[in-house]
Amino acid sequence: MFTTGSKFYVGIAALSALASAVFLVTNDKVALGSVALLGLLVAAGIVAGAALASRDGEVSEGGVATSAATPAPGASLWPLVLAIGLVVLAIGLVTKPIVFVLGIAAIGAALAEWLVQSWSERASGDRKFNSLARKRILNPLEFPVLSAAVAIVIGFAFSRIMLAVQKEGAAIIFICFAVLIMLAITYIAMKPSMKTGAIGLIATIAGLGLVAAGITTFNIGEREELTLASQEKHYSHKECGAERSENFDKGSARTVSAKSSVIATVILKDGKLTAKVLGIGEGQDIITVPRSNPSSILFLNEDAGERRLTAHLGTKVVTDGVTEPNETCTQLVDKGGKQILTVTIKKPTAADAPYTLTVPGVEGTSVEMFVP
Amino acid sequence: MNEMNMNAEIKEPTVKKRHPRRVVAGLAGLTAALFLAGCAKNAPQDTWKPKGDNAQKIDNLQKPVFAIAGVVGIIVLSVVLFIIFKYKDRGQPIPHQSHGKPVLEITMTIIPALILTGVGVFTARTIFDLAKTSDTEMVINVTGQQWWWEYDYPVQEGIEAPIITSGQLVFPVGTNVLLRETSRDVIHSYWIPSLNGKRDAVPGRVHTLRLQADKPGIYAGQCTEFCGLSHANMRMEAIALSKEDFAKWVKGQLATYKSPTDDLAKAGEAVFIAQCSRCHQINGIKNSKSDPIVSAPDENVLAGAAPNLSHLMSRNTFAGASWDLLNNSCRDNVWKSSSEEFGAKYLAGVSADCLNVADLRDWLRNAPAKKPMYADPTKLASTGGLTRGMPNLNLKEEDIDKLIAFLLTLK
Repeated sequence: MFTTGSKFYVGIAALSALASAVFLVTNDKVALGSVALLGLLVAAGIVAGAALASRDGEVSEGGVATSAATPAPGASLWPLVLAIGLVVLAIGLVTKPIVFVLGIAAIGAALAEWLVQSWSERASGDRKFNSLARKRILNPLEFPVLSAAVAIVIGFAFSRIMLAVQKEGAAIIFICFAVLIMLAITYIAMKPSMKTGAIGLIATIAGLGLVAAGITTFNIGEREELTLASQEKHYSHKECGAERSENFDKGSARTVSAKSSVIATVILKDGKLTAKVLGIGEGQDIITVPRSNPSSILFLNEDAGERRLTAHLGTKVVTDGVTEPNETCTQLVDKGGKQILTVTIKKPTAADAPYTLTVPGVEGTSVEMFVP
Repeated sequence: MNEMNMNAEIKEPTVKKRHPRRVVAGLAGLTAALFLAGCAKNAPQDTWKPKGDNAQKIDNLQKPVFAIAGVVGIIVLSVVLFIIFKYKDRGQPIPHQSHGKPVLEITMTIIPALILTGVGVFTARTIFDLAKTSDTEMVINVTGQQWWWEYDYPVQEGIEAPIITSGQLVFPVGTNVLLRETSRDVIHSYWIPSLNGKRDAVPGRVHTLRLQADKPGIYAGQCTEFCGLSHANMRMEAIALSKEDFAKWVKGQLATYKSPTDDLAKAGEAVFIAQCSRCHQINGIKNSKSDPIVSAPDENVLAGAAPNLSHLMSRNTFAGASWDLLNNSCRDNVWKSSSEEFGAKYLAGVSADCLNVADLRDWLRNAPAKKPMYADPTKLASTGGLTRGMPNLNLKEEDIDKLIAFLLTLK
């Protein structure tokens, strides 16, 4: 009833089911792992069904092995891969988890390939038929896995190159890459008689070049600007003064901000700060902010010059006994510009220290945020 | 073939024939039971009984659509049944097969298109009517959290200072109220069937829902987006009061806190400060040094908030409107009162005689046993020890007595 190919995938499906059940029990229903294993179960189940329905593409039906004519098994790389996998696994045990995972992947791949290769070599006395049988069973597994691996390698190598070169240069390299790929594909499309080997050679040279460049740039590291930004936390450290901040306000004019689902729109107009609340109207000097809930406030600057909205949220402890003002703010917004400020306030308003919104550089006007 | 085999051959088809009849009878019985359930009188969440302008608009749309859909359904079902029985396979030859009937096909395309267009036009009109905010007369912020609703009233005409309450949404009759809904944790959905349709409360977003009630009374609702373990216990009640009574309610909610003078209640206040004020806020309550007490539910509750208990006994329910603060007789007295009497009875709040002591005691004794809330300390590793609701505080019975005496003073 079950064909060889379907048995293989039914086995994978059964193992996935077992693994997902063990994962669910031992990991307190962590979703990601369960979804991955159940996804593998479904995928293996579908391929098993297809193999069953097509009787392995009918490759095994005619292949009755005749021992007298069975050719000697060919050379196989998989025992070597298995050995390398075991070594990598052992290294991974004492170094990094990712190395361990790579070892597991290599062992799994080697076992699967070796198992099917071994079966296919005994399927019949015809080498071509045996090779076809192996492909029919393993290609549904090999192609997606290899495609994903190639995509990851290309993505990783390309990203290393982009992060290592200067920003302006990165754009040029990106365009050149795209043009090269388009030209190569166009050329191949215009030469239908071109040999597959030649196309493969071009792709291999391009891939090796990309990987080599990726490895080189990985060793060089990210460009200085990014390293510095990461070390000094440029993108998380908000400087909420009236003056332009070198890092925080970089590219503020290009900011794209959400404009819906706000609890209020705070407007700076004629030097006065007021709030517009849906259902209540304009000109409010107090808005209600739900407690312990991320709430978005839209800042609209209708005055000349660049202004930012700053929320004053009391004080925060920096180190033992040392406190500093707890503030958050928008970037500088030019006249007519809008930007969202999201605040989460965990404590209710104290009578003597209200939470407020102000615009640095515009004195004597504020909007109170009441937290019930 | 022997005699036994022959008997077996005769009996087998008889058994097969009975089986579908039983299934049909069972399905018919179930259908009848569901149909009869529609006749229930005690059904406060009936979508077919609108009690306000917005719900009436939905009703005006859904009844004709239901009728049209019913007629279409009966026609389609009748034709299908007719064809099934009329042309049942009796071994007759296959009739002549023709390719297409343009007139019939065009007719059967145009008629549904016309029906759907008509329904679509009126539906779109109703959707826009229900999304209107320009005629808002009052705004109430509604925040969902596992498994209760918080209501806060921003400063606006008739409300001089912000008000916060939970469980029961109080608003004036004949007023276009705009609810601005959001959520602190997962998606919830706010639905008072007799006043309007449902609207999801989504974290990080503000969704609006109009409410308007024609008469004073209590309008029941239920969270309608599955939101976790106690979803079924996440109820709400909308309380419509006359404008005069609503003004009295506002005045009561803005009244300053008064520390109790009774000894037992005073002792209860101390228990509250020691045990409950970590999460529950009572506006104006002070510690022994006369400093205002600010609760810190964000340090104990995953979503970061717990119901504000200021003026608790002005409400009729507790624990996410899951249980009544009023005992059965007093509850009936309020729920079944006439529109004219309702406001005064509701504003009377909960007295010691009317308190539903049994449920309140159970709650204070072991809240998670009464309402499942992921409050078991052994299962809180994934939340860093934060609960999703009120944990068991292991209060002593005498402390519960004191707390109840204190809570009764919160009017």
